[in-house]
Amino acid sequence: MNIYHNVKAQWLAYAAFFAVLALVPVLVSDSFLLNQFATYGVFGLLALSISLCWGFGGILNLGQGIPFGLGAYGMAMTMQMQSQDASNPLPPFMLNNSLDHLPMFWEPFRNTTLGIVLSLIVPTLFCAIFGGLMFRARVSGPFFAIMTLAMLSAWYTLILDVQPYTNGANGITPPSPLKLGEIVVDPYSPAAYWTVLVLLLVATVTAKLMTLSRFGLVVQAVRGDAERVRFLGYNVAGYETLVYTISGFIAAVAGCCWVMLTQYVSPAQFDTTFSLSMVIWAGIGGRLSLLGAIVGAFLIQGAQSYLGDTFLNTWLLVLGGFFILVVRFLPKGLAGLVESALGKLSSRRGRDDGNGVAASRLVPQPGE
Amino acid sequence: MAVGSFFGSFDWSAFLNALILGVSIASIWLIAALGLTIIYGTAGVINMAHGEFIMLGAYSSYMLQNYVGLPFFLCVPAAFVIVALVGLILERGLIRYLYKRPLDTLLATFGVSLVLMQGVRLIFGSDPKYLAVPPIFTSNFQLGFVNISAFRVIVLGITIALVVALWALFYRTRFGVQVRAVMQDKEMAASFGINSDRVYMLTFAIGAGLAGIAGSLFGVLNIVLPTMGTGYVVQAFLVVVVGGGTLAGSVIAGGATGELQSVFAYFTNDTFARFMLYVLIVVFLRIRPQGLFAPSAKRR
Repeated sequence: MNIYHNVKAQWLAYAAFFAVLALVPVLVSDSFLLNQFATYGVFGLLALSISLCWGFGGILNLGQGIPFGLGAYGMAMTMQMQSQDASNPLPPFMLNNSLDHLPMFWEPFRNTTLGIVLSLIVPTLFCAIFGGLMFRARVSGPFFAIMTLAMLSAWYTLILDVQPYTNGANGITPPSPLKLGEIVVDPYSPAAYWTVLVLLLVATVTAKLMTLSRFGLVVQAVRGDAERVRFLGYNVAGYETLVYTISGFIAAVAGCCWVMLTQYVSPAQFDTTFSLSMVIWAGIGGRLSLLGAIVGAFLIQGAQSYLGDTFLNTWLLVLGGFFILVVRFLPKGLAGLVESALGKLSSRRGRDDGNGVAASRLVPQPGE
Repeated sequence: MAVGSFFGSFDWSAFLNALILGVSIASIWLIAALGLTIIYGTAGVINMAHGEFIMLGAYSSYMLQNYVGLPFFLCVPAAFVIVALVGLILERGLIRYLYKRPLDTLLATFGVSLVLMQGVRLIFGSDPKYLAVPPIFTSNFQLGFVNISAFRVIVLGITIALVVALWALFYRTRFGVQVRAVMQDKEMAASFGINSDRVYMLTFAIGAGLAGIAGSLFGVLNIVLPTMGTGYVVQAFLVVVVGGGTLAGSVIAGGATGELQSVFAYFTNDTFARFMLYVLIVVFLRIRPQGLFAPSAKRR
């Protein structure tokens, strides 16, 4: 039995991983670095959401930037309105675009709670509606991927175009950090790091429990063969919509955290390259493993920050080439490498557990 | 805007102009999608590097024009040959291992598009390049009250010629019969002695070459940049998805989307027109997920 497939061992690996992450604020005193690590946590959330949707649901989603960006814009609007008061009711960029009153859809963001709730609900609703439309029409596989890509570029052009309401290409830069009641969340403080870490932990544990549940089993069956699951009497479109929506909700949470950390949002969050790089993180790390996807995001974003400076011009070349190699030779990503290494280890121990089928045969093969 | 003033401002000649511009936009959508249509239609490969093939077509024309001094109208077929060769190498080196995994072809070709884009940026730099055309083609001409640029007419003409040529290739030659046989049932075609590997290889190369032609034309309409392909790839995919992956489907879908975009743009603006069009396509796929003319494929 390969220890990689042992659920207890998996939980132990998760615990060890998060214990290491929890040590970071103790060891790192540089607040700038801490902020950077916290943004990696946000990327981890995104990779997790992709792994849930693509790895477990088999739904390749190239438009994860939509819920992320909508959440980010909602949060930025909330934070922007926190620094407006009765004497100064309009954000400066609106004055520059000669608006004389607050647009209707900005009104709810005066209230912080309502604003945050909206920045989570609107993207989730969007995913539910869009996913529902697509999956009920049985649009799946590559076609769904292309439609998410088209939707993403539609949002990108829209946000860019309505300059007076979103400040166009410049984006929104809330002047002060997020205030929750009396507490100010300084993006460079350990508190911000802890917030992101706790959210990542909760999301990961929930996602893991979900994949182990009955629901997760059906979702993975849909990945294997949607037609057969349909014949068994399950509502395939419902399951697909649900997993896509949950993944969208996680991305919206990530969007909110991202603005909390960087105090900045722009249409670049809706850029196709950004959404595709989320897929690259999960693909390289291992989309069939939630932890693998998160580690993939950390590795690639970390490498981009540190190697990116030295190999500024060739970084994309290296990343693209590496990604091609992973898709061609390692469809399960780096986690697949760990899986086969552990598999070799357990078989070398020579303890034949009686079943002739290799463990790797039992796991669904990717890329169908 | 009140309803009365809206109709009052309705200008028939401007609207007709928008319709004619729509034909031109449609020809651009279609020529960008032609290569993708035959690659997707035949082999089921989702080629995300299609935009970069377009970009390579523009750069190879630029190179031939500036370093070899080839006149523009020889650059266009030359771009076909060069990009077809790139496509051939890519198919042999990577794509042929992935035919059974359509989602992975999408991912791998996205990796290819990153490599091509950055490679071109390293060689040519990120500053814009320009393609020169003979001066008669840069002029506009007047047809009644309609004003169109001569080059857009050329693009329309080339698009029509390519569609006719592709139709002839697929429906009037032995190779075309083989391609259609492989499309319908690969195993059955193979048992009749058709080398499906070779068919896939050639259609991929032809598809890539068509992107090269599109690129050398787009290089004149717009500036030549390493990132120029990314804008076209989503458009081209939409045409293929709406059309259902067949040549006739792509022609109709390209025509309809181009015309609708132009009409929407007449009533609102260019960006909003694109947003409306994309939403409309989502709704359309809800009603007809297989596209306009889906090929009669074998049921698995």
